[in-house]
Amino acid sequence: MENTIVEDTSYHGKKPIGKRLATYFRNIPHRFCAFFKRLGGKFAAIPKRIARRAEYVRKAPKAVKASMCLPGLGQIMQKQIVKGIIFLLLFAAYVVYMVLLGGKAMYNFFSLGVIPPNPWLGIKGDNSVMMMLLGILAFIITGFYLAVHFANIRDAKRTHDYVARGNKTPNFIQSLGSMFDKYFYVTALVLPIVGVFVFNILPIIFMIFLAFTDYGGNIVSTGALVSLIGFDNFAMLFSMGGLLGSTFIKILGWNILWAVMSTFLNYFGGLGIALLLNKKIVKGKKIWRAFPVLAYAVPGFITLLAFKFMFSNLGPINYYIELFGGTGKMFFGIDSKWSARLIGWLVNAWLSVPSSMLLATGILANLNPDLYEAAKIDGASAWKQFIKITLPFVIFATTPVLIGQFMGNFNNFGVFFFLRGGIYVDGYFLASDTDLLINWLYNLSIDNNYYSLGAAISIIIFVIASVISIIVYVKSPSYSKEDMYR
Amino acid sequence: MSEKISKADRLINRRIKKSRVGKRVTVKKAAECFFTYLGLIVLAFIFLFPVLWLVLAAFSESGSMYTFKGFFPSAYSFETFKNLFTDTKMYDYPRWFGNTMLVATCSAILGSLLVILTAYVVSRFRFPARKGIMKATMVLGMFPSFMAMTAVYLLMTQFDLINNLAGLVLIYAAGAPMGYLTQKGFFDTISNSMYEAARIDGANNLKVFIKITLPIAMPMIIYTLLTSFTWPWSDFILPKLLLKNRDMYTVAVGLMSLGDTEFARFAAGSVFIAVPIIILYFALTKYMVNGLTAGAVKE
Repeated sequence: MENTIVEDTSYHGKKPIGKRLATYFRNIPHRFCAFFKRLGGKFAAIPKRIARRAEYVRKAPKAVKASMCLPGLGQIMQKQIVKGIIFLLLFAAYVVYMVLLGGKAMYNFFSLGVIPPNPWLGIKGDNSVMMMLLGILAFIITGFYLAVHFANIRDAKRTHDYVARGNKTPNFIQSLGSMFDKYFYVTALVLPIVGVFVFNILPIIFMIFLAFTDYGGNIVSTGALVSLIGFDNFAMLFSMGGLLGSTFIKILGWNILWAVMSTFLNYFGGLGIALLLNKKIVKGKKIWRAFPVLAYAVPGFITLLAFKFMFSNLGPINYYIELFGGTGKMFFGIDSKWSARLIGWLVNAWLSVPSSMLLATGILANLNPDLYEAAKIDGASAWKQFIKITLPFVIFATTPVLIGQFMGNFNNFGVFFFLRGGIYVDGYFLASDTDLLINWLYNLSIDNNYYSLGAAISIIIFVIASVISIIVYVKSPSYSKEDMYR
Repeated sequence: MSEKISKADRLINRRIKKSRVGKRVTVKKAAECFFTYLGLIVLAFIFLFPVLWLVLAAFSESGSMYTFKGFFPSAYSFETFKNLFTDTKMYDYPRWFGNTMLVATCSAILGSLLVILTAYVVSRFRFPARKGIMKATMVLGMFPSFMAMTAVYLLMTQFDLINNLAGLVLIYAAGAPMGYLTQKGFFDTISNSMYEAARIDGANNLKVFIKITLPIAMPMIIYTLLTSFTWPWSDFILPKLLLKNRDMYTVAVGLMSLGDTEFARFAAGSVFIAVPIIILYFALTKYMVNGLTAGAVKE
């Protein structure tokens, strides 16, 4: 029963999203089984693979064996001196690194430091966090070295085979040439991959580990040793009773509301403006379009700061309110929950509508005008044309972007950081009632040193993002096959 | 024969007749025209006004916002712009501007190069790690962007790159390849036959990339350069975290440190930094639209 893929055949064409999601989740057990079966197969194949590797090593020519033991040696034996020396130098660099720093870093990664700080005796103690970071770095460097080592073996073998076929040994210039031709993809990807590993993957792995430690609060200021505490951070966030748990629930609720509302306003606002500009009676389209583009071009932080000044206590808005006999308001004060939220919503629209307008303009330009002609002949009203032709087409073409916009709004840091940053409201743990998860994350980790809690929140945001991406993924097969608008 | 006109033909004839008569201005049309233009004017006002307000404020005589009459300064002068560049004791704007320019230019060039290379290679070549790389970037992209901040900060202290503009460039450029999907979408639309022809003529892959890919991809390169220039140009989180000295500030961090009483200075500084970007955007709107749509239609 569990091993059959459930398929629903009662629909022709596109099934509703709910059905497709249901099918997806119903098939999870099956996919789970398939995954483990494949994994089992892989494990079962291990002895065979080991045997094959052993065979490879045994049958390898002398030069290749030399390269396995000492990188570059095989190349030198095959009269490729320069290349061999380069491999040798890489190996030497790695050995020096491991002896001087790497080995210790790896050891420290597991111990997380043993000497606690003691200010009375002037002992600084071990910096656990740094040890963790450098330990991960050491593992990544080892991974890179292993890649070089295997490349070296493969290279020695390739040269050997090449010569065995009766060719002359390629000289260094020729090898360099093949680096930019046959192995262009390797050469081109080295820099991006190293960069991404050091500045994206390393930090993310580090933060994942950090989420399971107690690094935060007092430990940061005293420099005490950090220890692993398992899922305690997550338990704190999900505990209903405590201040932390209630803050989390409140912020999550507001964050989802915010993302839905903002995406809705930005998307349909942009579409509306694009349709308005697309009307036949509008003359001077370029001039009208210039205004939103102007708003789009002004850097976001300038706009946000300007709006903050505009709504500040002695700013122009309050000036006019008082001029007409009202009393000035604190738009971003401690207890201005909904006015701050509303202003943030509108300001965000001001920032994001232009880009979605440009996007909608580009999409509408691809829309086949014959469809409208046909609709007109059939006597469809303008509203019906919009509902039946324009809207489905635009939504169809922009679904991935829509999801991107949703995630962008979900993680929209700037708006409330600038408009209402640094305010902590009662009933919230180091956050205000306008803060989104990402703002809370910033407050906790950058401003208040609660690093491990911040890391735990990051992981929760990641989980939310991946669930949404799964939904898109489920949607995409039908999406990629459709060509009814072409 | 002529009596036997089909229903569709009759409808078409009616439409043609209608379209000839339709030149006359009807009330309905006039109303539609009126409301369309009313909407356009309101929109133009909404988008123009805050910008206009900043420009006006930049030309105000007094620096503080408290002297303003609502949206309008009480007196106008060029003083603030002069101050911006001469009175650098507290707020060294020229220095900030130079820093921002340097960081944005370097990271735009480096970052674009890396993105274009990555996108091209992933789109054009089929190699064992390709699927893995694509999946990995997708998963990595789901982590919130500044989850990594703490770790990056620690790394930078370790590499001794705090208070160093080169460190900023390094982070921006290294992170750039993560957003290669738009560019890949563009390269996916270029057919392989062009490359193959060049290969048969004996060009190696590096040559194909330089002589064929780069010229074809010019619109995409311009888009990439523009977006990877504006990102450091207006980013505030990383500089705020990594730059501690006032001398090292970028404009974004510097302007953030200005309060209500320095409002005119803020406005002038903003206008000055926004103008180059606005000119670039208007000159390159076409590329922006193409870039945005390339990311949309291709997954």
